[in-house]
Amino acid sequence: MKQQSRTLRLLVALLGTLALVATACGPTGPTGGGTAAPDEKPVAGGRLIEGSFSDIKTMNPMLVADVPSSTVTGKIYDTLFSADPKNGELKPNLGKWTISSDSLTYNWEIDPKANWSDGKPVTGEDYLTALKLVALSKLTVRKSNFQDIEGWKDFVDAKATTISGVKVDSTDPKKFSVKFAKVFCPALVNAFGSSAGPMPTHVFGKYTAAGQADAIDKAPENTAPTVASGPYVFKEWRKGDQVILTKNASYFKGAPLIDEYVYKIVADATVLAAQLKTGELNYGTVEPKDLADMEAQQNLKVFKYQALSYTYIGWNVKSTTAPALQDKRVRQALAYGLDMDAVVKSILFGQGTKMVAHHPPASWAAPGAGLNQYPYDKAKAEDLLKTAGYTKGADGVYAKEGKPIEFSIVANSGNKTRETLLQVATEQYKAIGVKVNPKLEAFETMVDKLTTGNQEIQGWIIGWSLGLEPDPYGIWHSTQIPNPAAKTTGFNFGAFTNADFDKAIETGRSGNCSQAERKKNYETFNKILNEEQPYMFGFSPNTLLVTPQNLRAIDPGTFSATWNLEKWWFKQ
Amino acid sequence: MRTYVIRRLLYAIPTLVAIATITFLITRLAPGDPIRLFTFGATDLTREDIEALRAAHGLDKSLPEQFALYIVNAAQLKFGNSILYHKDAMSLVLERLPNTLTLAVTALVLQLVIGVPLGVLAAVNRGKWIDNAVRFFGVIGHAVPAFWFGLMLIIIFSVTLRWLPSQGVLTVGKDVWDIGDRLKHLIMPAFVLALAGIANYSRYLRTETLDVIRQDYIRTAEAKGLASKTVFMVHALRNALIPVVTALGGVLAFLISGALVIEQVFTWPGVGQFTYAAARQKDYPVITAGVMLGGMLLVLSYLIRDIAYAVVDPRIKVK
Repeated sequence: MKQQSRTLRLLVALLGTLALVATACGPTGPTGGGTAAPDEKPVAGGRLIEGSFSDIKTMNPMLVADVPSSTVTGKIYDTLFSADPKNGELKPNLGKWTISSDSLTYNWEIDPKANWSDGKPVTGEDYLTALKLVALSKLTVRKSNFQDIEGWKDFVDAKATTISGVKVDSTDPKKFSVKFAKVFCPALVNAFGSSAGPMPTHVFGKYTAAGQADAIDKAPENTAPTVASGPYVFKEWRKGDQVILTKNASYFKGAPLIDEYVYKIVADATVLAAQLKTGELNYGTVEPKDLADMEAQQNLKVFKYQALSYTYIGWNVKSTTAPALQDKRVRQALAYGLDMDAVVKSILFGQGTKMVAHHPPASWAAPGAGLNQYPYDKAKAEDLLKTAGYTKGADGVYAKEGKPIEFSIVANSGNKTRETLLQVATEQYKAIGVKVNPKLEAFETMVDKLTTGNQEIQGWIIGWSLGLEPDPYGIWHSTQIPNPAAKTTGFNFGAFTNADFDKAIETGRSGNCSQAERKKNYETFNKILNEEQPYMFGFSPNTLLVTPQNLRAIDPGTFSATWNLEKWWFKQ
Repeated sequence: MRTYVIRRLLYAIPTLVAIATITFLITRLAPGDPIRLFTFGATDLTREDIEALRAAHGLDKSLPEQFALYIVNAAQLKFGNSILYHKDAMSLVLERLPNTLTLAVTALVLQLVIGVPLGVLAAVNRGKWIDNAVRFFGVIGHAVPAFWFGLMLIIIFSVTLRWLPSQGVLTVGKDVWDIGDRLKHLIMPAFVLALAGIANYSRYLRTETLDVIRQDYIRTAEAKGLASKTVFMVHALRNALIPVVTALGGVLAFLISGALVIEQVFTWPGVGQFTYAAARQKDYPVITAGVMLGGMLLVLSYLIRDIAYAVVDPRIKVK
């Protein structure tokens, strides 16, 4: 079935591309910039139709665990803070906050104008309701985000009727404070972010009453929200086809100018690109292969900005079957021996950035300078292999004590970008005397093997999508190394460990929580990664967002595309 | 007849148990763990979060325990909560059933409305160009892969001519009850789904009609001086239609399962598309609910076929 679908999608892509090539003949269109001219006056009306490939799953923020659901739910339930679209710095939104000097207490004040769409005010009690819902749900995966709040466990264990660490001001219901039992820098994003957006007590309060364990999981409001704090209100979910939202006239930042937002499901990237051209969709991201075609359309404009993700080749640094990967010099040689700039040019049509450490340059946590860029240098790569004690054999492959540098790299089949990267890596590593055995496997098989620490894996290609919170603990800390013997899973697939590295990660999440101090820790963290090369860090792709030329006020960035959605308007 | 129906329904139980067992084994033994897949990349989650989710879906139990629980629940048509949607799996699948039935029934109607007259036309004009054309169409209709034919129609009627929409069931902004818009969306997928059936029925009807019009009773009817139209409509066509009717029940089940591919091509939000997406994500409850619903429809459609067979041909007695 799966194979059939891949063939089918490939055919759709091929035929669609042919059709598009045949019809694309317009002059080069302008790109970027949604700013209105000084003499333009915003006009209300119109419909924003966003194209995507899969349906939403839920509209309850605490149950959301996928991008489509998050896209739609984020327009209905606003969050306490927002992120600067360009650098990810946190800014007041529905609320503003201060943190106590011991970094344990967060004091919040919700905007006086912030109301639910039915006119009731958004209050501190609504935040407490959100927390209670998470605690009572059996299906949410967000419980650990709140585990350090005082009284959390007692409420989860039904030993208390409320969460003692959350105090709503008795004189001003818009004010509340949250006390944590220990310092945890990601708390701001994790405990006050999208999974903990205030939830309307007058709607969801009934699911938090005593004896209501997991009632929230079956709540009809999860799929049909009745009120909104965000710019749009839920109207209709045509399952598998469309989700329709209408503007929230009482939105605290002002009623949106665009009347309706529609989330529309289409078959694949080719159909999405075609429908952007015909105007059936007027908002969507396209693949690099479609960029030239999109730019050729006079009625469209393309916004290009770095995505908060990267695709990499990982190395199992503890592999006993590929011992060469244990040697830092070999891994550095592999970084020098693969021309990633050329890969970005050929696979992403230039729409990406070479990565040499974990945090993408757009993140505030990325080190400004001082990283080895590992420029493509075959001679240097071979020198490093020689320094590591390897000599080139008659077959052109470096070997030590009769054992050649040979290992497998696996990528998930069906992902054309990764398949091509695998092909290029195999060829280019051969040129520096390293033998790669390329393998393709189903994504689910790879996930199983990687997360359980299956030692069959020597090298692998996969990607990370990062969030607003730069804490790399879940991916890189030594406690996250999967252990097959103990049957524990984790995301540090390559088993990379280093004492200074662990310390930098720990201090970055539990030390001084100021951004400047955390940045220093992440600089240490990234420099160790840059030196040790447990990954060939690959590339971070650009997001290619396409909208009509006449969409005004849009100003997307890496950390948010829709941060000022209520101000968008269509010039008539 | 009632005893027959009850007996057939009882016979269906072991069939459904077998389908449930095979589905369980295929989903559980195939590589890929649904919880690991669902939580992959969620780096802010702890192992406790992940294990709690596994427990909530009963996936922390041993395989035999899971199977026993699954069979007991399946007998009550309970398949658990979808891992992705956090809702009862069968209700999610049933929400999509009307779309699939709309597609399948329309395709069935198209098969009969186009296929039957074509077959009769070919038989009546045996050896002439119409006959050759229908026979040629019969071969092509079978040989062309449905997904390829669907893509061709999209390129011609959606991309090039822009006459018909290529995706979904309704144009954005149209009312749910806009029948005209729904029909525009329905035409291509229904026709593609019907294609093989149209070819089938035209061939069946041609063969059966040719066979029937050579029978003695037709000659007798003609000898009695009945109008040739009456002879054909009352005596010949009725008998020629028997195999068509018998095939109907099975065809409906075939159409529902065949809709899977068509639903992918046209992004038609039906059971097939939904179950397929669930299979990719290892959403066990939805996969089993989708497959079991398909199994139940299959059993039901065969039952309808057998009853229809008895009704159409009184010589056939239900034993």
